[in-house]
Amino acid sequence: MAQQRRALWNAEVDLEEDVDLSMAIGTYGTTVYDEAHISQPQIDESTMVAMQQHMAQQAAFSQIPDPVKSFIIHFHQAVLEKNLAEITVAYESGWNKFTEKFYARTEWPEAELIAPLVNDDPIFLILYRELYFRHVYSRLQPNIDDRFHSYENSCELFNYLLNSDGPVELELPEQWLWDIIDEFIYQYQVFCTWRSKSASKTPDELTLLAEGGPVWSSYSVLNVLYSLMQKSKISEYMIAQRAGKSQEEIAEIVGDFGQKPLYRMLGYFSIIGLLRVHVHLGDFTLALKVLQSVDLNQKSPFTRVTACHVATYYYVGFCYIMLRRYPDAIRTFVTVLNFIMRMRQYHTRSYQYDQINKTADRMYALFALCHALAPSRLDDNIANIAKEKYGEQYTKMTRGGPDALAAFEELFLYACPKFVTANGPPYEDADAIEKLMATSGEPESPTQASAQQTDCTHRHLELFLADVAAQQPVPTLRGFLKLYTSLGTKKIANFLDADEEELVQEMMVLKQASRSISRVAGAAESTGLLEGEMITTSDLNFVIDENMVHIAESTVGRRYAGWFIKNTERAQKILDDLKNLPLPPPTRSAPTASATSTTDPTSQSKPTRPGGGPKVAWGSVKVAG
Amino acid sequence: MTSEWLSPPTRSEIIENLVSGVDRYNPANVSILEDYLYHQLRTGEYDCLANLAILKLYQFNSELYNPDVIINILIKALTTCPLPDFNLCLSLLDERLINTPLEEPDPLPVILPELKTLHNLLYRCRFPAFWDAYRSDELEQLRDNYTVEIVGFENAIRAVAIRAVRTTFTKISSDRLGSYLSLSDDLVQYVKSLGWSIDPSTTVISLPPNPDNQIEATVVQESIKLPQLTKIIAHARS
Repeated sequence: MAQQRRALWNAEVDLEEDVDLSMAIGTYGTTVYDEAHISQPQIDESTMVAMQQHMAQQAAFSQIPDPVKSFIIHFHQAVLEKNLAEITVAYESGWNKFTEKFYARTEWPEAELIAPLVNDDPIFLILYRELYFRHVYSRLQPNIDDRFHSYENSCELFNYLLNSDGPVELELPEQWLWDIIDEFIYQYQVFCTWRSKSASKTPDELTLLAEGGPVWSSYSVLNVLYSLMQKSKISEYMIAQRAGKSQEEIAEIVGDFGQKPLYRMLGYFSIIGLLRVHVHLGDFTLALKVLQSVDLNQKSPFTRVTACHVATYYYVGFCYIMLRRYPDAIRTFVTVLNFIMRMRQYHTRSYQYDQINKTADRMYALFALCHALAPSRLDDNIANIAKEKYGEQYTKMTRGGPDALAAFEELFLYACPKFVTANGPPYEDADAIEKLMATSGEPESPTQASAQQTDCTHRHLELFLADVAAQQPVPTLRGFLKLYTSLGTKKIANFLDADEEELVQEMMVLKQASRSISRVAGAAESTGLLEGEMITTSDLNFVIDENMVHIAESTVGRRYAGWFIKNTERAQKILDDLKNLPLPPPTRSAPTASATSTTDPTSQSKPTRPGGGPKVAWGSVKVAG
Repeated sequence: MTSEWLSPPTRSEIIENLVSGVDRYNPANVSILEDYLYHQLRTGEYDCLANLAILKLYQFNSELYNPDVIINILIKALTTCPLPDFNLCLSLLDERLINTPLEEPDPLPVILPELKTLHNLLYRCRFPAFWDAYRSDELEQLRDNYTVEIVGFENAIRAVAIRAVRTTFTKISSDRLGSYLSLSDDLVQYVKSLGWSIDPSTTVISLPPNPDNQIEATVVQESIKLPQLTKIIAHARS
């Protein structure tokens, strides 16, 4: 009954989880795309010539630089042969290399143009277009045709994967599969944002949007993700794995599709994709609910794709913030930020290095934000980096007052995900859209201000800031109470120049701010991300006895165990290494033996020691403990 | 702690399937969920995730928009403060760009700011101010058209105050608690029903100890758990 709440710092958090770096590193191609590879294209020259002739009339074709042509042929060949290593090299290194060289500011050649190079292979052309559009989105300005066509192409790809009778004969690197899902959602989000700005649309665009129908609709995007999950039976797979079922049993459960790495990975990435879509749409509970069957730990094979790993934690952490579960958010960010730090030396090589770093910076900002709201000592290292990066804002946020809100707003806007509205303006309804454009078109009209508010990012910001504002007096009050062990409420009210009753109510807010629902380590492994129990998040505790406040502070004793455990393990490892070292060679001749004998008493006492294996020689040494 | 919030014991299997499955996206199911909401209003039950599922359907299908349902969901969400339910509901309310003609004038634009104010007062534990605002003339429409239909609404708000008081106080004066609960004559009765005791001479109310209103200065010592030592122990065996 009178038992204390479990305190945050007392709940040992398994942050020290071993990360299998090698698993994650494996995805970074260590090889660089090498043109020498393809100097002898697999297609013989006569075919090449025949194809060239066939296309001779197309001037455009001849404008494609030869290295690019060879690259495409080689790429196609790698896909046909399901040679994952070669595909990875072409995908991660070759494509980017030729983009820099020839297509830094223009589109890659149209798929129709390069079709003859790949024997009109429809699948390869879909994949090629996937890359083509991704390049347009990331480097150039997509026009409305690009937006529509990239959607159609994605649909073609997913239809091909989902509607075939059996699993398709295609293998792609995991990184690419993640990028396909990630890009699909990215393009959806960009489209929604673009669509919501009705004022700047040209008549042509309006017509196309009016006839657009399901293009990039929220329903169709969710449909794709859920279909991939169902096809791959990924949830069943993960549940079966958690239950420790055998390979054969799992194979039976997941069926033909689910056994293929291509489908399994797509299924998994679709879950993460759903998490992201729901966050974009502002549904933070559902976002965490879809991750129900996912074990968020660093040992899962799904951490192999670092970009996915990082994105997952970013979105989960953000959901926790919106659920007012700051300790959980902090823990989530700390885990992945440590991971990124340890990975740094490896992922400099990744073509996604910049992207990962940007996300990491955002997470440091969110961490600073949570840390200001719920101070914890979870990881001083990360806290220090966050304070270094956002020191100014952090000081303001912890000090309270009007500056604090501005600092919270600044960091939130910088670090929050993009938000979209599920439905765009009613383009299909000509009257309604005309009315809408008429109102939003007038400059400086009052609706301009409301257009600002319709921005869904601001809606979420407003909600978050309202929460923060409610906690504004907390830092001051807390600092005050730290100085006393008991104090009358009237006295505090006088100090703060506040009404006593107001102050007492504020004390309840302080208490509320020192409690949070949190996933408790240990039990957390198999329970959903939404589960949790109430914990104390502050080391300062108090209680009001009518009009007297009693204050107690908890202090954390020094921690020795970690240090001893680490060093014991280190000593054991050294011992193991020593044991495994070969003994000095048995060819030691008598003269050398006698030469060393002065310094080596054992060799003196047993000069005839046989040169047996190290095990024998060291067998008698007892390991302490 | 959260398991009841995630899945209230009163939730039927049909609702559970809707909340957890892909059927939640099917607009045809909205009436089942709306019926369930009205069932919650009549019985005093509460199911946040099911109500969020309604708002999700509204978000995707703007033609389903029903302001009365939204208002009722928001009122129910008020009663779980300081859990984030109210904000979670607001997060799903996309701004309506089209005003599909409704049969009656849309009450939401008027009532939404009122509810936000009420929520703010609750979240900031300003319980006396909450009751003043709630009972004010301006909020007559809210009371007469909505909260009057919600069984146990006022007691649910009192429960919010009780939760805050329970964590903060060991003793509280009757006047103060009365102002939080908006009770005067019935206060003694109410306090007794909570199992709290009241001193007849001073009318000071004593709260039984609970994990939150017990404080002691502690030094947190680390506790070493077996898994931390598995490597060392395993090594010693080899």
